[in-house]
Amino acid sequence: MDDLTLHEVDEDGAIREAFAAVSGNTRAEFLGKMVVGGSALLAALTAPGAAQALPPARRDVAILNYALSLEYLQAAFYTETERVGGLSGAIARVPRQVGAVERAHVAAIQKVLGHGAVKKPAFNFRGVTEQQAPFLRTAVAFEDLAVAAYKGAAAGIRSPGFLAAALSIHSVEARHAAWMRYLIGIRPAASPFDEPKPQGEVRNIVASTHFIVSKPRMTARRKAPRYTG
Amino acid sequence: MTERGDGHARGRLLPALALFMLLAGGALAVAFVAYPSPVASHSSPAGNVGGWRESPVPPLVEPAFVPPKPRLLGRPRDVFWYSPVRRPAAARAAPDLSAPAVAALATRTPEGTENIVLVLGRARGDDGRLWVHVRLAVHPNSRTGWVPRAALGGYSAVHTRLVVDIERLTATLYRAGRAVFRARIGVGRAEWPTPKGEFYIRNKLTRYATPFYGPLAFGTSARSSGLTDWPAGGFIGIHGTNRPDLLPGRVSHGCIRLRNEDILELGRLMAVGTPVTIR
Repeated sequence: MDDLTLHEVDEDGAIREAFAAVSGNTRAEFLGKMVVGGSALLAALTAPGAAQALPPARRDVAILNYALSLEYLQAAFYTETERVGGLSGAIARVPRQVGAVERAHVAAIQKVLGHGAVKKPAFNFRGVTEQQAPFLRTAVAFEDLAVAAYKGAAAGIRSPGFLAAALSIHSVEARHAAWMRYLIGIRPAASPFDEPKPQGEVRNIVASTHFIVSKPRMTARRKAPRYTG
Repeated sequence: MTERGDGHARGRLLPALALFMLLAGGALAVAFVAYPSPVASHSSPAGNVGGWRESPVPPLVEPAFVPPKPRLLGRPRDVFWYSPVRRPAAARAAPDLSAPAVAALATRTPEGTENIVLVLGRARGDDGRLWVHVRLAVHPNSRTGWVPRAALGGYSAVHTRLVVDIERLTATLYRAGRAVFRARIGVGRAEWPTPKGEFYIRNKLTRYATPFYGPLAFGTSARSSGLTDWPAGGFIGIHGTNRPDLLPGRVSHGCIRLRNEDILELGRLMAVGTPVTIR
């Protein structure tokens, strides 16, 4: 089952809780709305008006979890690319260096959120980590998306300290974006102003990749073994 | 230009130079009076440096957190990859749709868990399609085949490998090349020998009601060569026992039996997807 649905990705409800915090719903209210179909539900959860009603601390936590989800995606992408070892030449060093930075972002945000951090989902990168050209195209898309996502979320961060931290990550993502664009031969800065992307749009883009999948179930309980014994 | 001409030019240049010096000196004097010194401008939040008028900017905000120093991945000795089968597919003898099929891959195991394959390598086919070389759970044992990448799910890595020594009746688990677990075992009797070869752990079963298998059982990709009509295809398991008094020894129908405390310890250390060498 490859298609992303929130139930499959988020077995323990951590992501739902984070998005419920953004939308102003309680967990119970949120779970009650889970009967609504996937993308419509996700769009409703990221309605910008609803976010204004939240107290700052709770909303900052929700935004940090949103950032963490993107960092998980990027860190897993570069780490798998390096481990699989399908790239060659100078490009092969890129996932090693950028992956280390993305893992540092994950570690930092996880540490701040503690037990409130969303759990890392499973990924299926569908071969893009194993081939040079698809890897570079995906890297450009991920870095551009991260830059637009941080920019879109920054205005909603209430704590100046969290905003300063988010901006310090945002500028690094922008450097990565310029680097990847240079490698693929497109202009690092295509326009004088970058557009932010709202959370709903970012999530829809991520969902459309089908890179986030359910974890394979390889253990079973109360199932009698039928091995030869 | 003539000498006379030069004299005329010199005569015009000197007054102009004098006028410039006068104006420049005046401008410097005005600057000293009108603008404070650089030291003074640093002490004033709205001061000026070299004609740059500073705006009143709030003080620097310290970030609430700072990412740690990036750490490069280590180079572990043993990294093995596995992937779930996401859609039924034929494993082929070569990375080519026209190559003979060597096995049919299902998405589920007989135990109802998701079917996984051990990833051995990859290649691009002539048609540009990405293919993955995988170890299969089929007869004959240790068989490998090529599967379209699109039929598989995400990759997961394990860092352990299990070595089963039939002669010495031992099972040893290695992590990053170092032995982290060793136990005496039971293996197949002469008429139902434990197969030798390269395999992998396919699933893990717990909380079943059959004491014969102990508290925990791993399913492997190995299959009995003698018990092919066994329910579910005669797969070889690694499990506990209700007859620890028989271990170590050649006592099983091909499965690898451990004492219950040993299988529980192995269950804690060994992940599904771990490669298994039986020799």
